[in-house]
Amino acid sequence: MVSKHDKAKPLTKSLLACFSAASSAMEFLALLSTLVFLHALLVLLWNLLDRWRHSGCYLLDYVCLKPTDDRQLPTDLCGEIIARNDCLGLSEYKFLLKVIVGSGLGEATYGPRNIIEGREASPSLADSISEMEESFNPVLDEVFRRAGPDIPPSAVDILVVNVSMFSPAPSLAARIINRYRLREDILVYNLSGMGCSASLISIDLIRNMFKAHKKMIALMVTSESIAPNWYNGNRRSMMLGNCLFRSGGCAALLTNDPGLGQRRGKMQLSRLVRTHLGRSNDAHTCACQKEDDEGRHGFHLSRELPTAAAQAFFENLRELAPRILPMAEICRYLFASIWKKKSSAKQDPFSSSVDMKTGVDHFCLHTGGKAVIEGVGRSLGLDEKALEPSRMTLHRFGNTSASSVWYVLGYMEAKKKLRRGHRVLMLTFGSGFKCNSCLWVVLRDMEDPGAWEHCIKAYPPETLANPFMEKYGWINDPNAELLVQSVKESITSRCCCLSCFHLPPPIAYAAAPVP
Amino acid sequence: MRGVSDAGRLARNILIPAAIAAAAYLLLSSVLINQTLLLLLSTSAAACCGAAFLLSRPRPVYLVDYACLRPLQTCRVPFATYMEHARMCEFFDEKSVEFQMRILERSGLGEETCLPPANHYLPPQKTMEGGRWEAEMVVFSVVDEVLARTKMEAKNVDAVVVNCSLFAPTPSMVDMVVNRYKMRSNVRAYNLSGMGCSAGIIAVDLARQLLQVHSNWYVLVISTEILTPNYYAGRSRSMLLPNCLFRMGAAASLLSNRSSTVVPPKYRLLHVVRTHCGAHDPSFLCVTQAEDPAGQIGISLSKDLMSVAGDALRSNITTIGPLVLPASEQLRFLFALLARRAISSSWPPYLPDFRKAFDHFCIHAGGRAVIDELQRSLRLKPGDVEASRMTLHRFGNTSSSSLWYELSYIEAKGRMKKGDRVWMIGFGSGFKCNSAVWRCVRDVGFPGDGPWAECVHRYPVHVPEIVSFA
Repeated sequence: MVSKHDKAKPLTKSLLACFSAASSAMEFLALLSTLVFLHALLVLLWNLLDRWRHSGCYLLDYVCLKPTDDRQLPTDLCGEIIARNDCLGLSEYKFLLKVIVGSGLGEATYGPRNIIEGREASPSLADSISEMEESFNPVLDEVFRRAGPDIPPSAVDILVVNVSMFSPAPSLAARIINRYRLREDILVYNLSGMGCSASLISIDLIRNMFKAHKKMIALMVTSESIAPNWYNGNRRSMMLGNCLFRSGGCAALLTNDPGLGQRRGKMQLSRLVRTHLGRSNDAHTCACQKEDDEGRHGFHLSRELPTAAAQAFFENLRELAPRILPMAEICRYLFASIWKKKSSAKQDPFSSSVDMKTGVDHFCLHTGGKAVIEGVGRSLGLDEKALEPSRMTLHRFGNTSASSVWYVLGYMEAKKKLRRGHRVLMLTFGSGFKCNSCLWVVLRDMEDPGAWEHCIKAYPPETLANPFMEKYGWINDPNAELLVQSVKESITSRCCCLSCFHLPPPIAYAAAPVP
Repeated sequence: MRGVSDAGRLARNILIPAAIAAAAYLLLSSVLINQTLLLLLSTSAAACCGAAFLLSRPRPVYLVDYACLRPLQTCRVPFATYMEHARMCEFFDEKSVEFQMRILERSGLGEETCLPPANHYLPPQKTMEGGRWEAEMVVFSVVDEVLARTKMEAKNVDAVVVNCSLFAPTPSMVDMVVNRYKMRSNVRAYNLSGMGCSAGIIAVDLARQLLQVHSNWYVLVISTEILTPNYYAGRSRSMLLPNCLFRMGAAASLLSNRSSTVVPPKYRLLHVVRTHCGAHDPSFLCVTQAEDPAGQIGISLSKDLMSVAGDALRSNITTIGPLVLPASEQLRFLFALLARRAISSSWPPYLPDFRKAFDHFCIHAGGRAVIDELQRSLRLKPGDVEASRMTLHRFGNTSSSSLWYELSYIEAKGRMKKGDRVWMIGFGSGFKCNSAVWRCVRDVGFPGDGPWAECVHRYPVHVPEIVSFA
């Protein structure tokens, strides 16, 4: 007879067998699901990491234009050009000379050929195009020569060109594509009318393209057209442009390829902030191209410009500062602001203005003019040393519009100031009214003198004062009108132009500064 | 190398789906076996895979709505007005007038095309102030309309892109828009210039790039051509063509990558393909701004224009074909290509039938010859190019905005249905050929207003080869 115990044994055995099979299946499933989860997590993390790696913007190289010396515009030549303008009276002449002498521009800034050759009143399309070709070709040739066989022109994926005041058809970008035989599928954008801050707008555009694509090479070309934009009238607000704008240009190669960027990149873009104050009518019209009452084209700079610039700057700084300053400085500033509000004492022990030098080592300020540099320097609490690169650029190259910040960067590099880890702030202003800023981090010690090669040793000079300061003191002479008339007659009759400006000044005015 | 990297494509197409399938299997088994740990792990795995998949996908770009300018009747330039004006301009001689008359007779333009008021003056006023005035009139009209249609407030616009080829004042037209509509201080504004009649698609491409990077954005794209400062007042024949063909027009469109907008979007942007033939000298030189012997600036069109356009189109098709053509057409094309290479070079090349890929075609209304050439090259039927021909007839060559007028025509005729695919092709100086492919995502009835509201019932019209008005 089979006992109950004997009957239970096979049942237990089978139950145990099922249980062990089930538990091993469980273990297998648990292992499998863990593996799948880890795999999925790794894929997600790798995706995020890949995106982050390729979202960087590296500056591989940049080249600023150094025009040929036959295009220099010293003060006496400027005076001669002004004197050619028949509709200028003594008051305008005085005004212009004062502006030129007090502008902070030196004797070696550059202008377009048609103006130097006496054709400023009737520029042709060929003049404008040749000015652009003279700006682009040398810098692009040099940038590609330095890039070497690794980055031939056919490797360029994105081309952004910005020239504010000249836009022919086909575009200047198409002209570059034609000359350098760039690829058919290139992503090309030709920006125009965007003012002196267009350089950073181009960088912003390239940065956005980099985030949308991987392993791209971008070429940015910036310059300004002066040849067709010389003002031949007598409205003071429109003559200022003639005194300040000078020829210049820059080409820069950028990439978002992390390997290439780390190997060959000079700087990496950390932050970029754009501010547009177009909603304010005064700001919008304070710097604009227009015609005067006689229909002559020129660039009008109004009295509201400093206010607009200050407001745009403030709004830009408000967004930029928290992103680039160290936490300690942000806390200190907040504390100081609260203390200032609560404390009734007139003297506050803490400075309630933000100290940008805690987050920035070098400042590339747009060389819009002496007033712009000084105004920004005061707002940011910068000393002479911090403003030196911008002042020297204004002196050596003038206001080259959108490419000015690259010349300032070139000065710092030529002076061997840019070391690995340093942070460089570029700050630009432009018509519209815009204020754009960006922060670069230097990746390697930068020592290329570039456009400053031939003159960096002479900077900073002992004085930035215009050498014609004394010479033009006679402009306050009551009999100056007769003098001006005789000077103009001698120029129009084409007899020795330069010697007319070497008339000995009346003794009473020899030491009088030009107001 | 552009686009998603090879590794990214591998992840998206193989690894992620495999992981999702495995996670789904585990999810099912864990539900059946009722194991909490398994459930947790498998749902987490599925979530990670889903996130990775969504991240690697490009963001969808939608066209919420668009608006085209309907110029004032007072700007109308019937042939008689144009010829009378030409005869009274002292800078035209008899031969130039005769030449313009012959161009107009064969142009395919109708009697209702418009020129800006400054061009009606004797002599035409070519001032910058006049250009700004025209820009304000055309741009503000279309932007007002598009904001009204999309029920958008200007302060919610995140980026603005304006393209205008031949007029770029400082501050630019985009700054003018920001000023007029009091947009935010962090609006991204871009002003494209000098990029020709295909710049509208370039502007859309720029908007698309921005929408890939930023989420929940609205981008306003404005395409126009300002004619006031560009009237050619000379006698060179190659430069008189633009006077005869270019007419006033503008279009504004609102693009977004939001999943839900106040007004449901009309179209989804599927592809943009850009081809730039500037490296090839004849292409670069076929449309150039130049000075004539008298010093007058005008746009010169070379005789090679059609062949250059054909080459640019072929190049563009080579890229866009594989993206849009059905497999059957691609196989036939491949077979013909291999046969030409392997068997005989006289084997006829196979031109794919793009009518199998697209329901509607918007071909830049550059001129009658351009539309004829494309109809022949792409083997299209007259009905396929009707929108282009009728736009040329009613509005003339409005440069970069012409594609939008053509799209509006198709909608006004009630032919646009949900799911239809539209191919926009633009040509421009440089020489460029740019294509955009849209898919209609909702039924689009006749909007009731728009540039064709008052005249679509008269269309299509037969446009004779020559309209004689000697």
